[in-house]
Amino acid sequence: MGVILEIKNLTKKYSGLTAVNDFSFEIHRGEFVGLIGPNGAGKTTIFNLISGLERPNSGAVRFDGRDITGMKPYKIVNLGIARTFQLVRSFRFMTLLDNISVSCLSSRGKEVAKQYGIDEYASSILAAVGLVDKARIPPIILPHGDLRKLQIGKALGTNPQLLLLDEPFSGLSHEEQKGITDLIIKLHDDGVTVFMTGHVLRELMHLVPRVVAMHQGKFITEGSPQEVANNKIVLEAYLGKGSEQLA
Amino acid sequence: MSLNIQKFREKFIGFPTYLKHWVFTFKGGMTLFCLFILFLFPIVTQNPYFLGIFILAMIYTIFAASWDFLAGFTGQVSFGHAIFFGLSAYGVSATLVFNNFTWWGALLVGVTIAVTTGFIVGIICLRLKGPYLALGTMVIAIMLQDLFKIGQLKDYLWGDQGINDVPPLSNSSTVVYYTILIFMIITIIVLIQITKTNIGTIFKSIRDDETGAETSGINTTKYKVIAFMISSAFAGLAGGFYAMYIRSVGPLIFQPLYSFYVLIMAALGGIATISGSALGAFTFIFLSEILRDLNELDPSNALLTAFSDPAFIFSVILIIMIRFVSQGLLRPILEHLKEFWDILLGR
Repeated sequence: MGVILEIKNLTKKYSGLTAVNDFSFEIHRGEFVGLIGPNGAGKTTIFNLISGLERPNSGAVRFDGRDITGMKPYKIVNLGIARTFQLVRSFRFMTLLDNISVSCLSSRGKEVAKQYGIDEYASSILAAVGLVDKARIPPIILPHGDLRKLQIGKALGTNPQLLLLDEPFSGLSHEEQKGITDLIIKLHDDGVTVFMTGHVLRELMHLVPRVVAMHQGKFITEGSPQEVANNKIVLEAYLGKGSEQLA
Repeated sequence: MSLNIQKFREKFIGFPTYLKHWVFTFKGGMTLFCLFILFLFPIVTQNPYFLGIFILAMIYTIFAASWDFLAGFTGQVSFGHAIFFGLSAYGVSATLVFNNFTWWGALLVGVTIAVTTGFIVGIICLRLKGPYLALGTMVIAIMLQDLFKIGQLKDYLWGDQGINDVPPLSNSSTVVYYTILIFMIITIIVLIQITKTNIGTIFKSIRDDETGAETSGINTTKYKVIAFMISSAFAGLAGGFYAMYIRSVGPLIFQPLYSFYVLIMAALGGIATISGSALGAFTFIFLSEILRDLNELDPSNALLTAFSDPAFIFSVILIIMIRFVSQGLLRPILEHLKEFWDILLGR
């Protein structure tokens, strides 16, 4: 089990605000890792730095032993890192099938997709995320839960090795959460390394074996969900100082 | 690879059946009806004035379709489409007048110039988005207008006078009419087909969400430049025909007004429809001709002059359209016609 993603001393500053501060950790191939932290802890910024949407001020991101710091987003995707967004993004006026086809047309996705035909491969992904009956409608009329599934489908189209899921559960009902959870577990069983964020501990607790906690851009601790949940600093970050008695 | 060949074969074999089916659909019937009228028109009248109106409208259709392809399907709104139109017009005129090219040779040169310019403009404007892209392209057009006007460069760029006495495509209006009609049909078919292919899917994804397309692993930069090149090729085609039709070309061809006209035409027909630009261009040209006649009724009447100025009237129309029918005229008209059609057939 080699290291698939290595983040080293990553720092990102916006004018006056340090969103990510000297952050380091590793993810091994085939792992299932969660990243937790209260709102504004810098989780999304970390994802943006990994996926190339933003450049770090210092530090490095290594994927599969290769330095990908500051690379163009599409190049990073074609190396095998796909991501979803906290606020759902979709191609609003295109059918769901076309939405998935776009990622199947990326140079990495195409390698697999062209063996089956782009449309056929895209349909199989739609079937995998459970949207195949809605293949011909545009996403503007879809409910939120389906949009989350679509996002994961779009990421899958690029045939990723590492999947970054940014708050895959936010704004979902309990039923919808369960659907997404099953989907993510199935993907992980298929061999995709999954790295996901969440600001509510409960959702992640049952799902991931290892959790990384951050607060105000800083690394706090990592370990099993139980260990992290009992960590004093984590509790402080979530509930405020002096809350260990309450918990 | 064999999969593609198989798909192609299936399409090829199925095409006659598809065509037969298509003709009897509403859309197919309407298209054939319009084509029928366009093909019959020169037989009905040989009047060069009326033929001229149609020729101009068809040239503008090509121009508007090229703009619609870039703005409606790739989301790159250009306010300087006259760049490609004008440069190609200059290229065609120069090769026709000074090098004695045949019309298709000159057109080829014009389109090549336009595509090259499209490539360069695409690269320059890569980082610009939305209103900044519109501004950037507009400024390039204005720069070109000034550059071609400079008297000191007259030996190279023909100065204020431009190039005159450009030979026409053919001495017979009917031949010109049919040539341009065929090119217009090819343009519309090619552009619509491009939007249906894989590359068209990528273009549409860039229009809907550029960051999303990039995080789907698409090299958006590359495809934006390709879209610019395709669009400029057809804008160049229109420019070449325009130069041969008007028979002269000057720096004024780069003026923002031409870029504005094409925008109005595409918006009139409906953005992201391609074939809507035909409706837009024909409406535009017919209205301008009517307005000109209106002005000639009484040229001394100031109010009439103002209200018969195409730029003024069309600006007003554009504002009204943005408020009430922002999706353009083509779709609502087709819907109403379809209802009428269904009533006629008793459905």
